[in-house]
Amino acid sequence: MLELYHWEPNGSWLKPLIALHEKELPFRSRYIDVLSFEHLAPGFLNASMETRLNQEGEGPILVHEGRQITESLFMIEYLEDAFPQRPLRPADALGHCRILAWARFINEVFMPGANTLGCRKYLAPQLAGRDRAALKPLLDRISMKLLRDGWETALTNSYSDDLLADSRRKVALGVGRIEDALASSDRLVGSAFSLADIDAFAICNALPALTPDIVNPQATPRLLEWIERIRARPAVRAALATSRSGKPEQAFVPGPEHARWG
Amino acid sequence: MLTIYHWEPNANSGKPILAAYEKGLDFESRYVDLLGFEQHSPEYLKINPTGTIPAMVHDGVLVAESTAMMEYIDGAFEGPALRPSDPFERWRMRWWCRFLDQFVGPSVSMLGWSFFVGPAVRQRDPEELKARIERIPLKERRIAWSKAIYGTFTQEELAESARRIAFGVGHLETALSERPWLAGRTYSLADMAGFNMLAGLPVMQAQVANDEKAPHFMEWLRKIHERPALQKSLTLGRTELMRRYLHLAR
Repeated sequence: MLELYHWEPNGSWLKPLIALHEKELPFRSRYIDVLSFEHLAPGFLNASMETRLNQEGEGPILVHEGRQITESLFMIEYLEDAFPQRPLRPADALGHCRILAWARFINEVFMPGANTLGCRKYLAPQLAGRDRAALKPLLDRISMKLLRDGWETALTNSYSDDLLADSRRKVALGVGRIEDALASSDRLVGSAFSLADIDAFAICNALPALTPDIVNPQATPRLLEWIERIRARPAVRAALATSRSGKPEQAFVPGPEHARWG
Repeated sequence: MLTIYHWEPNANSGKPILAAYEKGLDFESRYVDLLGFEQHSPEYLKINPTGTIPAMVHDGVLVAESTAMMEYIDGAFEGPALRPSDPFERWRMRWWCRFLDQFVGPSVSMLGWSFFVGPAVRQRDPEELKARIERIPLKERRIAWSKAIYGTFTQEELAESARRIAFGVGHLETALSERPWLAGRTYSLADMAGFNMLAGLPVMQAQVANDEKAPHFMEWLRKIHERPALQKSLTLGRTELMRRYLHLAR
């Protein structure tokens, strides 16, 4: 039995929901209310080292045969490896390698940029007025300092101008690369819908609302068409329909850090 | 025809080299002199427009990103499997590759650039160095080179890197005390990547990477060091960085 712990279908949370529906795999949905920090309460899953130290920040956890799988891109790779039916990955090594090369850029450059802007715009106002002293014992349970710092920045709404400018640069860079790639194909890798499209879409779906000056019909017509095509897929509709807020594209929580070096 | 463009068989450059030798492949080795800034030369940018090392070209097709290259080597060629067949262990292999690439590796690299790369080039003509920095394609790499050359790392960022290395080695020690290899029962790309990023630590960060504090980690480094493929990869080295590996010989 597959069990997925997930929050609102946006960013890293959205990827396994799409892949599970695309592959028509039955799973038990465990919705976590991340903004009430229930995932940090004692007694919530006995987290493995790889769950505690994962590099994507707050994100989904898949439990399969009693084992925890984290990191949304590797989670959907895992689904490919464990359940080869209805493949979402090219069979050839070069196609797979291109997915991985896209993924490094998407998850280590594009995602930190988009996530910082999303947290600044949507999360920080929602957290305003929360009792930080009361939350501290829960946040202190987080193993990764960078994730504790991510929550602290959101709770105090202390995003520096430099960080916001760099985040905008990263979003524009990623959007530009995707727009360029879509000039020669309507998929990011190969000719079929793949993990690379899921990986990028999970971030891009929020951008028309988050950064309309970067993503709009004049600047990025191909990206917007690609988003619309993906939104129309039955599996993606089903994934987005898991939203309880009705506004999944506004759901942001601290994610991967911006690269410190190189 | 497989060509690997690399600097020293260390860190990211060492990853595809070791994977290729473990796979039993012969490839054309093209040494790119990082300290001579060859990776930003017009000739190299024709091969890899981002100006990063390593790069790999297979039958005329560029394969970029060192971790992705390792998966490509395992997927595209016949030979011993370098990835676990069990899906969970394969997932764990990728998890560790990212933990190394994103968390521990950059910290090791920052210290390496601060103590080795920067001092190795700093004495050259300032005008030449300035021009060299200006032609670097990626902004992140321009900043990295600038910090290394002018020695402008802050004490805080160096301390944070040391903290991350200690944290990372501590967790590798825990993982390797529970199983022989990072992914599980079999030697995999995660171990090859890990060795290439961390093999210098017993010299660079001896206070955390030693037999007393991290015996399983040290044994893991020695086990990989004595593999024929690793020994073969070291023959491609040209600088004194290679001397760090002597400490791992039993």
